[in-house]
Amino acid sequence: MGRPKSKPKPTPRASRTRKGRQQDDEPLFPDRKPSNMPPFKDEHILLIAPGSQMTLAQLGLPETFTPARFRFPTRMFPAQKKGEYEPYQIRERRQPVAATNGNGAPKTEPVKADVEMKDAESTGQDGTEKPESIENTEKPAGETAEGAEKTETQETFYEEDVTSDEGAVYPIKDGRIVDWPCFFALLTHIYNALSPPFHTPILLIAQPVWSTRDREAITQFVFEKFKTPAFTLMDAASATCYGYGVGTATVIDVGKSKVDVTAVTDFQVNEHGRGIALAGCGGDAMTDRLIELLGSKGFTREMCEQLKRSNIAEILAPGTPLPGAAATARQGTNPAAAASTGGTNGNDSVPRGLGEGTQTGTETNSEEDEGVLDVAAIVSGDTTEYLAKIEKEKVNKKGAETKQKNAPNHQKEKATFQFEEFVPLDDDSAPTSGSRRYIRHTREIEVGAERFLLATPVQNAGERLTSGILEDIATQIHHTILAVPDATKRSELWDSLIIVGCGSRVRGFAQALLGVITQKYILSPSATIFTSEIPSAFTTPLPTGGTNTPAPTGQPGIMYHPAAHGVNPLLVAATHNNPGMAGATPGTPGMDPNMSVHHRSTGHSQTPTSVKCLRLPDYFPEFKHEGNRNAPGASHGPSATQGGHGIEEATFLGAQMAARVVFVLDQGLSKGFMTRIEYNENGPSAIHEYYL
Amino acid sequence: MNPSNPPQAAEYGGDEVSAIVLDPGYSTTRAGFAGEDAPKSLIPTYYGKYSADGQEKLIYGDDIFVTPRPGLSIHNPIGKDGIVEDWDMAEKVWEYSFTSRLTGAKPGNPFHNGLNDIPAEELPTEMEVELEEKPLADSPLLMTEPAWNPAKAREKTIEIAMEKWGTPAFYLARNGVLAAFASGKASGLVVDIGASNISITPVHDGMILKRGVQHSPLGGDYISSQIRALFQKNSPQPITVTPHYLISSKTAVEAGQPPQAKYRTFAADKAPDASYRALLEERTLSEFKECVVQVWPGPNRLSATAPSGAPNEELARSHPPRPFEFPDGYNQVFGIDRFRVVESLFDVKAAIPDPDSPVPAPTQAQTIPELIKASLGGVDVDIRPHLLANVVVTGGSSLLYGFTDRLNHELMQLFPGPRVRISAPGNTAERRFGSWIGGSILASLGTFHQMWISKKEYEEHGANIVEKRCK
Repeated sequence: MGRPKSKPKPTPRASRTRKGRQQDDEPLFPDRKPSNMPPFKDEHILLIAPGSQMTLAQLGLPETFTPARFRFPTRMFPAQKKGEYEPYQIRERRQPVAATNGNGAPKTEPVKADVEMKDAESTGQDGTEKPESIENTEKPAGETAEGAEKTETQETFYEEDVTSDEGAVYPIKDGRIVDWPCFFALLTHIYNALSPPFHTPILLIAQPVWSTRDREAITQFVFEKFKTPAFTLMDAASATCYGYGVGTATVIDVGKSKVDVTAVTDFQVNEHGRGIALAGCGGDAMTDRLIELLGSKGFTREMCEQLKRSNIAEILAPGTPLPGAAATARQGTNPAAAASTGGTNGNDSVPRGLGEGTQTGTETNSEEDEGVLDVAAIVSGDTTEYLAKIEKEKVNKKGAETKQKNAPNHQKEKATFQFEEFVPLDDDSAPTSGSRRYIRHTREIEVGAERFLLATPVQNAGERLTSGILEDIATQIHHTILAVPDATKRSELWDSLIIVGCGSRVRGFAQALLGVITQKYILSPSATIFTSEIPSAFTTPLPTGGTNTPAPTGQPGIMYHPAAHGVNPLLVAATHNNPGMAGATPGTPGMDPNMSVHHRSTGHSQTPTSVKCLRLPDYFPEFKHEGNRNAPGASHGPSATQGGHGIEEATFLGAQMAARVVFVLDQGLSKGFMTRIEYNENGPSAIHEYYL
Repeated sequence: MNPSNPPQAAEYGGDEVSAIVLDPGYSTTRAGFAGEDAPKSLIPTYYGKYSADGQEKLIYGDDIFVTPRPGLSIHNPIGKDGIVEDWDMAEKVWEYSFTSRLTGAKPGNPFHNGLNDIPAEELPTEMEVELEEKPLADSPLLMTEPAWNPAKAREKTIEIAMEKWGTPAFYLARNGVLAAFASGKASGLVVDIGASNISITPVHDGMILKRGVQHSPLGGDYISSQIRALFQKNSPQPITVTPHYLISSKTAVEAGQPPQAKYRTFAADKAPDASYRALLEERTLSEFKECVVQVWPGPNRLSATAPSGAPNEELARSHPPRPFEFPDGYNQVFGIDRFRVVESLFDVKAAIPDPDSPVPAPTQAQTIPELIKASLGGVDVDIRPHLLANVVVTGGSSLLYGFTDRLNHELMQLFPGPRVRISAPGNTAERRFGSWIGGSILASLGTFHQMWISKKEYEEHGANIVEKRCK
């Protein structure tokens, strides 16, 4: 099989074994296989990455790695029987007995049977059809659900309500497992849905917050419930490093309601000083802020959530002026009112399933918006005011119309996004099909400059004196890197930030975070230049070492120069060519003359002198959908299309690479996974020896 | 194994439980499983207290460094001399140190939080229902203590471990002995430079020699106070340390120029307490210690003359100065001053006078050479050469640049006769966690099993048993 040649080599171990494999397609040491286990195959490996909102899963490794094939909402619904859980909301519905039916005995169909039938059905689809199929089953008014319901004509109906999350139990909160039975039920559901063969090794991505006991409990469950032949747990941060193919990096995982900041040095996670489940910093915090800003204007949480995900919401780098005078523009209009009437526009023509409109690229959208008259606003009442405004605007931008049209988002005072919602098509009084139908409404909502303020401090942050999520994250990064015992690595850690997690999908997040770090922590060149560490014979500074060119390190990452304030560029170049600072090429050992042979914590310079984000290697085009990541609806829950996920899921990419290395190439030689034999001998606590 | 055949049922018998090693210090508390090479859990012993919604709330762990809370004040359950003062809080902080990363929080287990009462046969897994309610019900616990820990405190410790945490077996070991173990020695002179204390512990065959134990308060916190004194009398203007949380952005300024930063202000009723600011200033100071501070390596004191005849101060001045930038952007280079702030650990006359400091001025008897002299004076003359040949340096503050060189010179000067040999691990973690690592080694030894104090023995003999068994 043609493996892509240009795969990164995550570890020396991996590259060595791969070389051996390319020669004869056999493991390097065939006789050293643990016990007599047949080798694992790519297509049998099961990967599960649980998150607070979504659990990613995949059975089998494709030839070139792609974003996770399946996404399960991390939630279950309590079943009728206490302690059991169902993947979807089950509704009970009573209906008069149809006279046509011979036996009208009011028999209660066991819930279990109903669900199993459906499970089997959806599983069958999953296995055979395109990856989108599982999303089909979760789509409102899915055909499968209807088909299943029709077989029943009893008095009591149980139907799965796939869109409702009412009464859902979320087993993971802030990364912590708060409801173990529910979490195990979710694992079982995922396992059953993917229905792997028996000889399936499992790799589970562990949240940093899980304690050693938690990991043991999961190990025990996996071995005893799934009878898996091999299992391994991998820390989310080290998985991310595998994905990027680097051994030393600072991983910032922006989740739903928490952020983890981890310093990884030489593939080792630094537990001390690690920022674990930093509360109030995830994507939810940004939604909260939007509600705070827009709630008075009639925005619901769902609207704010979709606004956050839209391509017009953006975090501006510090110092960028907001477009327009203030965030108070167009106060008179109630956007909610506008929005609700706007629905009449497209009510009839709203397509079921995936709307065409949702698939349009971001660029075309924003260009069209410019020219479109906001019909909704006119209908909503303030017609004269609105039209007058339009006139005024037209006059204003008469000259600069073309310029304005192509203006980047952050220069536009207002912008619109598409809001989608599901509305029940027919109410309970017309239960013809037995299943509730939904229709997808799409309407446009206009927002002012508030869309740039989603990272500003929440006013009512409860007990925390937050200064905005970016500053809080920056503080944690500083704390985490400062806690790394090997001080010579700190500079490299600052230069290798990796930002993952869906919370970071908001446009401009990474740049704004780098901007905040630059403002708060980057040392001025005068604090670093007069050091003893300038080698006497450093190369003549390049004239391009100035403010706007990337650093001469060959690292094309985003670069924030400390020279932004008119400092002599020669000094800057000197600091950046200084081999004493690990900011040069990552991986080269520090050549600081002052450094003692041991990694003593003194004799080094203060950090950071620069800060950069790492770039994902180019080998994985599937993870490169940055342009599409903010497409409307791209992340809309289970119905999301695959293309919407990109580098923020590098953790899953790393999981796939690690799985191939650990299960297929290495075959257990380096103790990358725990076999069932070892489990039987040593018990769940032995998993810590295999924890990656 | 055929992929199409179901495997047989797992036959896992019982748990192999490893002991938990808990090494409480004044500045940090270390906890982890025995047999590992570094503590998994490292938390500050400081905890934060604030009130919200009319309730008093406590925060532990690294969280206190990252997000300020309204009216947050910082406390430490351990006194300046390393002995626990506030037992209730010490228990909570220590408990957090192992529940947060190792055993899981007490209320976190939903099997018995009352909401998930599932009949045993209907559990979604074949897992056994764990019935323990106490955080350590299935882990033996090895704790460390300073050599001068009073009997009352030792008894209180075993009481907490047995009754509050429910540990099945317990042992209390001297941290000096453990630090020697970590260096692979059963006998030696342990020089422990901690945050609030420095201590000299002579260890012979795994036992401390009580009469030789010496300690004084010239630890890392004392060095911080010396650094503050240096900043006070800095010219042209005194340096104030403004921690990061009070700064929203800074602008690069030339060395020595006044800072230009945008400061962050808090409403008077929300501003964190002064103790919080002190804690965060301490972090900047420890960065300063790492990057700038240097111990004059010797030979001889900084104020004396070198063997070549030139005064040592001149030599120190010839070392290139080191720059440091403060959180507000102020930056400056530090020349000979960076040697002065630690010189008083060895030479009390070199102390930077600071009448305002809460730390009393040191006396000559508190310096390291004098402590070692006094310590060796308290032990049998026959074993002194053996101790001097096995000097073990441990503790976070001993990582100061040049410290071991200077200690070596001082010892050679004090004891010209016998061979002096210092063993100081070069690895930062091994130096900082010396006593924890020793505990990890000890608790994982097979022969240690007979040393544990079991729950039964505790119930039979009472807390007093710790005095008899843990010597």
